[in-house]
Amino acid sequence: MSAPAGDPDASPVRVLVADDDADIRDLVEFKLTQAGYAVEAVSDGISAWEAFAANPPQLAVLDVMMPGLSGIDVLRKIRESEFSTVPVLLLSAKSRDSDVDTGFAVGADDYVIKPFSPRELLHRVNGMLARAR
Amino acid sequence: MIIGGALLVGATVVILGGCLLLILAVVAVRARRHSRTQRDEMLLSPLRRPLITVASGEDDDGAAAEQLTWAAGVSRAVLDRNIVELLTKIRGVPAEQLVHVLEVHGAVDAAVAEMSSRSAVKRARAAQLLGLARAGQTVPLLIDALGDEAVEVRNSAAYALGLIGDPAAAGPVLAAIGAPDRGLPAATAAEALQSMGVGISEVLRDGMADPNARTRMVAAHLSGERSFTRGLPELRGLLDADPDLTVRETSASAIGRLGRREDVGILVRHTVPSEPLELRRACVIALGDLGEAEAIPALAVLLDDSDPRLAELAATALLSMGPGGRDALAGHENDPAVRSARLLASLQKASA
Repeated sequence: MSAPAGDPDASPVRVLVADDDADIRDLVEFKLTQAGYAVEAVSDGISAWEAFAANPPQLAVLDVMMPGLSGIDVLRKIRESEFSTVPVLLLSAKSRDSDVDTGFAVGADDYVIKPFSPRELLHRVNGMLARAR
Repeated sequence: MIIGGALLVGATVVILGGCLLLILAVVAVRARRHSRTQRDEMLLSPLRRPLITVASGEDDDGAAAEQLTWAAGVSRAVLDRNIVELLTKIRGVPAEQLVHVLEVHGAVDAAVAEMSSRSAVKRARAAQLLGLARAGQTVPLLIDALGDEAVEVRNSAAYALGLIGDPAAAGPVLAAIGAPDRGLPAATAAEALQSMGVGISEVLRDGMADPNARTRMVAAHLSGERSFTRGLPELRGLLDADPDLTVRETSASAIGRLGRREDVGILVRHTVPSEPLELRRACVIALGDLGEAEAIPALAVLLDDSDPRLAELAATALLSMGPGGRDALAGHENDPAVRSARLLASLQKASA
């Protein structure tokens, strides 16, 4: 997989990954890192918001059900912040239509349901960043 | 007096002693679990990198998967447990590669053997593994397990059959709902059947004639959910004449989802005051879902119904029917039912 940035000398695109499940967190971090992204991975919602506020990434991948703040709560805070346009992808085992509706209603740019294909996740991240440029 | 005091002290000592023992037991269980987790993490640590490489779909040359197949002894057992957990989280090629590792380790064969274990927990876990490994060859075994004496095994077998997705299992899953004393929960069966593709439509049609009401309800519900229009004649029959009220309500909802213009009549017929209130409400909602203009006059009459909830549902249905439906609300603007329906519609629009 080639680096997502067109200019090889440019700094890598930064992505925040938040999931309390170590398996998911590790594999998404690994997948995106292999694709050339600079990934910051955290394990709960409060850390996700702190990491976002301290150094806003170009894209965030948030699990919906996390301790502290949920992914929906973090997304809401992002949309109310001065960096409200940062693309956010929600990753969740909550698969009912109403769950997906809630995610998009709060401002998610995409919603991926677990179990998911890591390859498809990468395609979606690439697409969201391409559209955001 | 002295005896009473002694008894009180004795009882207090016994209660405190019991509490202390309970606390010690909880601490011991937690310590044991913590120590086992630490041991598992230590055993898995050399395999963590290749495991994540395979799971993320980055094992292009297959080297990481091969490394996983070499695991032996306790490490292999811990790794296999971790792979089973991962299979609930990922799909696609990485999941297939992890299943291959399980097969090389003999975990799938072991699970087949465990289906005969005396422990219900082991049988349930084995059924789950066979489903997650999409072990299609074990469908007959899993169908047998739908009649297991332990409900957790029956649930696990249905879950596994849903994951495998073979429509050949649809009939047995549906029939298992009504098994005497060993019935499968309707929700579990419905979830499994949802994953079985379009090949189950005939099974659902047959299910709507089953003697068991819960089976008929699941068959009717899924026919609507999956838009199996070939089941419409059966759904109409259930709405008209089923002895079970829940089956009739479910059939009305299904007709609302997949019905046609000619279904307005049957739904309207069951909104009359002589019908049970729950069925009348279900039919009004279904008329709104159906969205056919022919239902407008009947819904307009229901705005004056003595049941406020039914009147509100009729207003909601009319609001969803475009200009014709909204025109029918003329003269009712100040009715509580119409105001409530309008408020609900505006809230839904705002949150969309």
